[in-house]
Amino acid sequence: MQNYKELTIIPDLKLNIRKIKEISGGSSDVLINEFTTGGIKCALICCEGMLSTATITELILEPIVNIENQKDSHELFHYIQNFMLLSTDRPVATEYDSLFRLINSGFAVLIAEGMNKALAFGVQGYAVRSISEPSSEGNIMGSHEGFVEVVRTNMSLIRRRIKSPELVMELFTKGDKSRTDLCLCYMKDRVPPELLKKIHKSLDNIELETILSTGYIRPFVENGNFELFSSTGTTERPDVLCSKLIEGRVAILVDGVPFSIVIPKLFCESFQTLDDYAFKPYYSTFIRWIKYVAFLISVLLPSVYTAIVIFHPELLNSTMLMLLVEAEQKAPLSILTESLFVLLMYEIIREAGIRLPKSVGGAVSVVSGLIIGDSAVDSGLISTPLLTITALAVISSFVVPELNDTMTILRLAFLIAGGIFGLFGISILACAVLVNICSTEDYGFPYTAPLSPFKSSGMDDTAIRAGFPEMQSRNFTVEEYHE
Amino acid sequence: MDKITKNQLTAMLLITDTFTLFCFRGQISLTTVIGFICGIVIQFLMSLPLVKLYSMGGSVESSGKIIQIIYFVYLLLWGGVLFSMLWKASDVIYIPYENSNGIWGKLLIAGMIAIVCLYASSTGIKAISRSAVIAMATGAISLLIVIVSALLSSDWNNILDTKTADSLMTEISRGFFISGGLGSFVVFLGFTKGNYMKNTIYYFSGKIILTLAITISTILLAGGIMEITEFPVVTSAQLSQPFPVQRIDSLFLIIFAVFAVFSIGVQSLASAELLKKILPKFRYLRTTSVLAVMIGSAFLFSGRNNGYLYIISVGIILFVIPCFLLVKRSLAK
Repeated sequence: MQNYKELTIIPDLKLNIRKIKEISGGSSDVLINEFTTGGIKCALICCEGMLSTATITELILEPIVNIENQKDSHELFHYIQNFMLLSTDRPVATEYDSLFRLINSGFAVLIAEGMNKALAFGVQGYAVRSISEPSSEGNIMGSHEGFVEVVRTNMSLIRRRIKSPELVMELFTKGDKSRTDLCLCYMKDRVPPELLKKIHKSLDNIELETILSTGYIRPFVENGNFELFSSTGTTERPDVLCSKLIEGRVAILVDGVPFSIVIPKLFCESFQTLDDYAFKPYYSTFIRWIKYVAFLISVLLPSVYTAIVIFHPELLNSTMLMLLVEAEQKAPLSILTESLFVLLMYEIIREAGIRLPKSVGGAVSVVSGLIIGDSAVDSGLISTPLLTITALAVISSFVVPELNDTMTILRLAFLIAGGIFGLFGISILACAVLVNICSTEDYGFPYTAPLSPFKSSGMDDTAIRAGFPEMQSRNFTVEEYHE
Repeated sequence: MDKITKNQLTAMLLITDTFTLFCFRGQISLTTVIGFICGIVIQFLMSLPLVKLYSMGGSVESSGKIIQIIYFVYLLLWGGVLFSMLWKASDVIYIPYENSNGIWGKLLIAGMIAIVCLYASSTGIKAISRSAVIAMATGAISLLIVIVSALLSSDWNNILDTKTADSLMTEISRGFFISGGLGSFVVFLGFTKGNYMKNTIYYFSGKIILTLAITISTILLAGGIMEITEFPVVTSAQLSQPFPVQRIDSLFLIIFAVFAVFSIGVQSLASAELLKKILPKFRYLRTTSVLAVMIGSAFLFSGRNNGYLYIISVGIILFVIPCFLLVKRSLAK
């Protein structure tokens, strides 16, 4: 069979219907309703489950079948297009490629005898999840709306918050098989033109067959070098995305995914939440520093503990030293093995908790926390201080959930370095990690800005959280950080 | 061309200078401090033709293969000196694996540092300069703790009581030994944004402040035992204990390791930049070869402070060649 993408619609209804059936392989969900209207034989084609039956009956079928006799099919299509407002979204297809894209996107498509084009009506009405609270970005004082899986709903969530005509949303499809709708959002008066041009160029390089999550797109819009931290961000919150757009960033919405990609992303942004701007500046500044400390604790605490206990006990005062010696004397494993064991067990339990059904997930927590944890300490397999240190590190990682995956790997890497080479190993690895973070850069925006390269103006929302009167006068856009 | 800021240039160079100061062997007295400061002022004056050359649009990197090779060899040898210093100074700093595994431990530690330097250099000047600022800031805070502790708990009489037998001229010449960043300064000054003269003044001012702070605190803390101290700065860090019930010696190890990585990394990056100009077709393993030669050349040096040799070499790269290039430029016009 010739590739259907190259075929055009022919002015023969029967042949067209046969071709549609042939291309779709007789798929049960492709519905073809043949009827006569205006004296011309027509067919309305749609995909079951993708459109609203009530809408198509009320707004398309009923008005269409009542059309008076027309001279020919051209007259019929002219009448429908110009004198009947059947739906607001009415594209025209001339090839089978676009015809199938429209059908599979929930459009009802009308073909007629003698016409080499098809009229499509936007009557999408598939089952969708309603707008609910974001699961991964908790918030107290802000909006409780999160993105959903439908790109057009997500576009409306953004538009509701930014009513300016400067907000541009470019809708296009990618994915040879999945034909996924993507939406590029930006503020045309704020976005750096060069950034937009480069992102367009990066997106042009996507030749994937399917796009099922943001993870499929991100490698194409990120620097190809090895980066520990991702230079593009994601958010599930429309309000957060709007704040990023206002700062001149670009967002990509993917149909079927309740997350948006944000470009560029800075390291300091991982420590900012919308609540920071709802509380008093002094409290927000305090919370922000708590997050910085929590990040360091999460990555370094187990390794520093292991390094100190094994190689540098002079760093501890005598009381603490005696306490640790007493606790570790009972443990049968070396401290490094013990630490690795506890951290790996935690990761296994965490993964089990995520993948299992919620009802069983709770049981996993009880078994792991109460039974394994308690009995491991009671039996002397694991020392209490080590378990406390690990728990502190793990809890600290929850403070910055966006960096959780990177922190997990770094925690293990630093633990091994500290356990074998002491503080020297930690320092050497810290140098490598620091260089890696500083080399992370996309489209000329350094990931570590405004810390390095240092921008004093950026400190009012990094080191502290300045008040809105101070920030509004600054009129910040991300272009300030471009190098 | 990738451009860096004056803060980034200063951070990269000061890290190297501080590392050479950490590894400085011999006694430090008030005469030494004066000698060091005079040495830095002389270096600044010597660098003026270079600043003039850059301001006129010239550069040493684009001035012919022979000059490029001279700078390349200088940087390679300085890289070797830094490795040699690291090797010697690590004897008095407790590095776990090294101390318990003899020569293999030493090689492993040097290898680890070389691998991280290799990675750092391969990421390019922007990444290394950005990270150098953060490393320098962290190091400066740690040094501040040591210095404040020294100021609070030391015997101020040490400043006048500590004496060395060497003359001011000898101390000035030794001051050139603690200037490991000068080769990189010549290469990287052309990469900086803004006014070259201001950037140069900024770097040398920072160097004077840092040298003063470290050497004075060293005299305050280790002045009493200076005669029996091989590495006075390391000893002063070990003697500085700001907390009454805990020792912080190991924290110095962190600064030492970080500064070692960055100073060797900066040196290899500068060498690799020149190698790119000398042999443009030699793309792969450029930084690896540079580091390998640096480690090899480390065996040429005993780590002793041969001050006059450093004065001559610094004089050639900082003053003689830029003057020659300036004259050549004027004659060409």
